[in-house]
Amino acid sequence: MTAIELRGVTKRYETGGHTVEALKGVDLAVDAGEFLSIIGPSGSGKSTMLNLLGLLDAPTEGEVWLDGIDATRFSDSEATTARREHIGFIFQDFYLIPTLTALENVTVPTVFSPGGPARDRAAALLENVGLADRLHHAPNELSGGQKQRVAIARSLINEPNVVLADEPTGNLDREIGERILETLREITGQGVTVIAVTHDEQVNEYADRVFALLDGVEQ
Amino acid sequence: MSRGQRILQRIRAFELPIERFVDIDAGRFPAVFMATRNLSRSQLRSALACLGICIGVLAIASLGIFGNVLSLGASDALGDIGNQVILTPNADAGIETIDDSTLTEIERAAGDTTVVPLRTSGGLIEYAGSSTAATIYGIAEPGGVYTASEGRVPDRHRQGALVGASVAEELDVRVGATITVDGDSYRVVAVLEEVETFSPVSPNDAVMLPEDDVGGPGYDQVTIEADSGAEAAAAASAIDTAVNSREEVVDIFELSAITDEINDFFSLLNSFLIGLGGISLVVAGVSILNVMLMSTVERREEIGVLRAVGVEKRDVMRMILVEAALLGVIGAAGGVIATIGIVALLYLVAPIELWILLHPTNAAYLLLAFAIGVAISVASGLYPARKAANERPVDALRS
Repeated sequence: MTAIELRGVTKRYETGGHTVEALKGVDLAVDAGEFLSIIGPSGSGKSTMLNLLGLLDAPTEGEVWLDGIDATRFSDSEATTARREHIGFIFQDFYLIPTLTALENVTVPTVFSPGGPARDRAAALLENVGLADRLHHAPNELSGGQKQRVAIARSLINEPNVVLADEPTGNLDREIGERILETLREITGQGVTVIAVTHDEQVNEYADRVFALLDGVEQ
Repeated sequence: MSRGQRILQRIRAFELPIERFVDIDAGRFPAVFMATRNLSRSQLRSALACLGICIGVLAIASLGIFGNVLSLGASDALGDIGNQVILTPNADAGIETIDDSTLTEIERAAGDTTVVPLRTSGGLIEYAGSSTAATIYGIAEPGGVYTASEGRVPDRHRQGALVGASVAEELDVRVGATITVDGDSYRVVAVLEEVETFSPVSPNDAVMLPEDDVGGPGYDQVTIEADSGAEAAAAASAIDTAVNSREEVVDIFELSAITDEINDFFSLLNSFLIGLGGISLVVAGVSILNVMLMSTVERREEIGVLRAVGVEKRDVMRMILVEAALLGVIGAAGGVIATIGIVALLYLVAPIELWILLHPTNAAYLLLAFAIGVAISVASGLYPARKAANERPVDALRS
């Protein structure tokens, strides 16, 4: 079953009076539980692709389908709801909120939900990523690997169908990167689609499929 | 522990990060929870923004109360004179006294008010070898207007003298003594209570004799005493129609005209003072705007993450408005407390009566200043909140 799909997607930006075409008619379909890595040099359109898949941006041409629904023309509010309910984000620089503890950071996507913050689920997720003894630590009391694991737990708090990871191993040493990738691999076992954008060859070892991008076109 | 150490300990307690002693229920008040955490990260900056609002609220509240205290004090000193109408013979038309037939017309027109005709003269009061000059009033029915501090004020004044408080004190006169008024002897039947409010017929420096013993015929002045300013004004216009229709017989002087002017002056003064305070509050609002703008710019990526993981625009906006409101509430509460302190200090150093300071209108100024302080803070948070909430997460996260 297809979890998320790009159909003939083109994305153009206006910058400084001239038009940049970041993606040129890209097609991509990712199945539920698949681990896909998107690779390519800087400026190849990887980040743009991730933004489109994450409903953070809309394509100039083409369509974005999420769970069998055309999400291309979603309003801001619809896209926000879809992100909250279906998509988990893991950012390159973790982007944890410094005034919140590890546990509170994991609950952030649910803080404003009607049910309130999912503290119990957050604690369970942190336990799964091996941070049971760090629940009440502030981000500045955690190592880089620990922060990334908090970020992974945060991406899973809403039980998403798709997890999007931007350079998940980017600032981490090789051994810690491996553990992160193993964790992501485990997630796919529960039917969650993982899409990772990376420079890192190591990621490809864990991925089911590699999507190579160059100048906005699949190679 | 010494007093100084205790205060120091309290100050230190406030320097702790907010999460150590305030735990907001994130489930019920997510915006307040997020906002308190955000404010706790730059406490000095937050405290300075609060201080601005605190000073602004202090300025509005204390200047407002100051003006109000002046106004209340003045209307207290003026007493009920707004309820009085003074009638005097129209000297311009050659009329020297108000005669009996005019008085009858006045009494008929004056309705339910108390009409007090007076004869006035001046003279020397002597008692036990000392003497003083005083105003001498001839008055038939003093009972409705004056009260005695000693003895009894008769309803109908037929004999004896009523002595004003200042005269009695100066001559050391008591009830039962015999004084000499302009050469005639009178027994003192009452010493009048001192009247502190301003009045056109002040009894303090006067001696009141039976009507027939002073001057005449006719009266030098008629005082109309009503229960309210409106009643006094109605009586004045009725008298004007009845008495002055053919010829301007009496001059009619409504004291409410003076009190109105005095009240107008004080309300102008008060608006001016509050306006001054308002300026400082606007400056404080600008500092909140500045702080909130800086804070949202610094947290640009963080807010982008919130939006990316599914936090709605309106929740981001609410969170930032709550931050601004919290700064306002804390600052305004500080301003209210500081104002109460200053008012208490004013009571200690200035001769102000306690009831004037405790008057409910002063509390209204405190509440008003508090409300304006919070409102200005929230208004100042609007622009940063909108700006932060409306930024596209993809732009916030690109940098």
